[in-house]
Amino acid sequence: MTPGPADAAAALRSGGDPARADLDARVLAWIAEWRAALASGGAAPAADDARFDGLARELFAFQVARCAPWARYCAVRGATPERIASWREIPPVPAAAFKELALRSFPAERERHVFRTSGTSSERRGELHLDTLALYEASVVPSFVAYVMPELASDALREAAGARGAAPRFALRVLAPTPEEAPDSSLSHMFGELRRALAPQLDATTSGFDVRMGVLQIEPLLAALERATRDAVAVALCGTAFAFVHLVDALAARGARLALPAGSRVFETGGFKGRSRELPRDALYGAIEGALGVPSARIVNQYGMTELASQFHDSVLRFPGTPRRKLGPPWARVRIVDPLTGEDVASGEVGVIVIVDLASTGSVCAIQTADLGRALGDGFEVLGRAEGAEARGCSIAADEMLAGEARA
Amino acid sequence: MSDAAGEVRAAAARLREAGALLRRRPARETLSALARLLERWRDPTSPARLALERELPLAAGFSPAVVREGLSVALAEWTGDALLALVARELGGPAALDAAQPTMASPFDLTATLLAGALPAPALLALVAPLALRSPLLARPSSHDPVTARVVARDLAEIDAGLAACLEIVSFPADDAAALDAFVSADCVVATGGDATVASVAARVRPPRRFVGYGHRVSVALLGPEALRGEVLQQAARGLALDVALWDQLGCLSPVSVLVAAEGDGATPVAEALAQALREIERRLPRGRVDVAAKALLASERGAAEMRAAAGRPVAVLGATGEPFCVVREEDAAPRPAPLHRFVRVCPVAPGDLVRALTPLAPQLAGVALAGFGPRTPALGRALADLGASRICRPGRLQAPPLAWRHDGQGVVTPLVRLADFELD
Repeated sequence: MTPGPADAAAALRSGGDPARADLDARVLAWIAEWRAALASGGAAPAADDARFDGLARELFAFQVARCAPWARYCAVRGATPERIASWREIPPVPAAAFKELALRSFPAERERHVFRTSGTSSERRGELHLDTLALYEASVVPSFVAYVMPELASDALREAAGARGAAPRFALRVLAPTPEEAPDSSLSHMFGELRRALAPQLDATTSGFDVRMGVLQIEPLLAALERATRDAVAVALCGTAFAFVHLVDALAARGARLALPAGSRVFETGGFKGRSRELPRDALYGAIEGALGVPSARIVNQYGMTELASQFHDSVLRFPGTPRRKLGPPWARVRIVDPLTGEDVASGEVGVIVIVDLASTGSVCAIQTADLGRALGDGFEVLGRAEGAEARGCSIAADEMLAGEARA
Repeated sequence: MSDAAGEVRAAAARLREAGALLRRRPARETLSALARLLERWRDPTSPARLALERELPLAAGFSPAVVREGLSVALAEWTGDALLALVARELGGPAALDAAQPTMASPFDLTATLLAGALPAPALLALVAPLALRSPLLARPSSHDPVTARVVARDLAEIDAGLAACLEIVSFPADDAAALDAFVSADCVVATGGDATVASVAARVRPPRRFVGYGHRVSVALLGPEALRGEVLQQAARGLALDVALWDQLGCLSPVSVLVAAEGDGATPVAEALAQALREIERRLPRGRVDVAAKALLASERGAAEMRAAAGRPVAVLGATGEPFCVVREEDAAPRPAPLHRFVRVCPVAPGDLVRALTPLAPQLAGVALAGFGPRTPALGRALADLGASRICRPGRLQAPPLAWRHDGQGVVTPLVRLADFELD
């Protein structure tokens, strides 16, 4: 992992706000510590509750002092920095609010970048307004390496993942547009940053992006995968769930099945959003295994949101043989809450997912999704994403045949 | 082939035989039996109604009071005579079904209907319509309402055993492709559901088989300048509260938003009156069960509206967090998600922009409750029909569609028959 240009110094310069610079520096330091721990092969540092709580409350105080809508929203709920006793009492902003409000904790004139959620032209798209990409980029790389390419992190992790010898080279193949083609896509930006940061470990001739003008470029992709297979270069094939459906369908139409080289893995994220036929996750993974030769145990789902800087990933590659669950970096935590009361549900019960992400310093750090989840061990599982909410008009839109069991 | 697929094929074979027997009987006899069924269902003390009141709350989550009142409102005018009038209106009368005459309607040898949603009245009609044409019916109930079809079958068996033999209820998992293929091998396939479901089923039905699809729909209310104050407003609010509260806003005729056409701030008094009316109707028609996914959407949209209010937008959220309804006085009429379960947006619209504001909803528009437009009402009704609305009525009547309501702009029975013109003397 090579440090990016968007490092701590850049963050310190970015806002011109000393309090913000201090918070950014402390989060970046935490990220660096975690990265170093991963690289040294030692056990990940134990969850530091006090550190998270203290920083979360400071960040909350900082953000409500600068983001007036959130401050008023919290005040109505009686939650002010002085009155909350724990990070768990920070009132999360509903993710839907990002579709209508620019939630900034910095002056608007300092805005440098906007990421937008995906969606059709008729839908409102959520927007994340940023004055710096430093924390976003710093957060992305170690999380991806820890959960998707643990072989790259350290010898110890490499052994835990069943690999031996020197750090391998990978083909990073991305079923998404380049960041240049989709500058408002946080997903493309993430892959661009990974391509840059992991360049020394990537096989340049077989790595690349495979969506142009919104269309999956099947022929170049298959050529690259065949080349990687011939050269025995393990592939990290990454993309949205619907892109994988298109790929699987395209292979089926050609009567083709691939057997990607040993060590290959699939990273998928997002939903279907009406861009392909929808498949339950098990069926999608089965189809991927059938078409690409990558078993389910080597398929990692990323649970992330455009509105946040940090992401969560399936544990299967980092902790093989243990139950699949979502895990995140130490500076981001999840609560599972009753959607109406906002209280934590009992362990193991289903609730909505609330994320508190300390790397989201420029916006708001606590978001309530409309996604259902359940705590599972040291992580959680996502039981349903609410991507169909926009189109609902009557209950039958809950789709009797395709997803009817969701309401059963 | 899955076990369920085998069961579906066996049921289809039995139905084809029963249908052949049924078609030897006069059409009028079948209609008469179904008319008796409807009359029974109109009686709130009938075994069928009592069974629904008892079982539907458990299955679908409605409160017993909502089932009771909802059925009373929905079935009040679904008389036996209304069924005969429906056949007369769309086909010219029962003779079209079995006599040689200028217009002749022939039933399909087998109809298969995928039911959706949790409302019993549309399910009842979806079961009665093919049978009225003497087409045997294979029905797959919705997972939200496994009750209605079973109760209809039971009731029918008491009234007319031969006709009852022409209705079979099957169930199979949503992902059982073999069973679905067996199901859609019927000569006429009716699918109700979300647009993706309807499209998915349509793709499996090849001509000459008939496909009839009913996709997802949305309904709204429009209030004009004459309904924004005094008793007229209160009456409209009470009517809309009933339209919303019945079936907990889960039907295609449940209004999800109220557009208020006014020069000044007409939306605020309407939102306040509607919130009060919903609060009052809760005592009589309590909201039913809300699952966690629905709660998540409710919380999300409510919270997002509160955030917009906190940002200084002209938005107000009425109904406390613990109350079983939510009214959002919106800043505009831009389309926003509809969490249902008694969540209503009241949106201000410039009087000249009403139809334009509804245009994004046009492809899904079903019912419109209309009040307060005085002499402009007929012209507005015309514009709404052109936009795609299939039903325009006053507030409080949305949940009482006539039996002959042209659901989705189509006839009720016409799509389910083959029509022929006889041109010889």
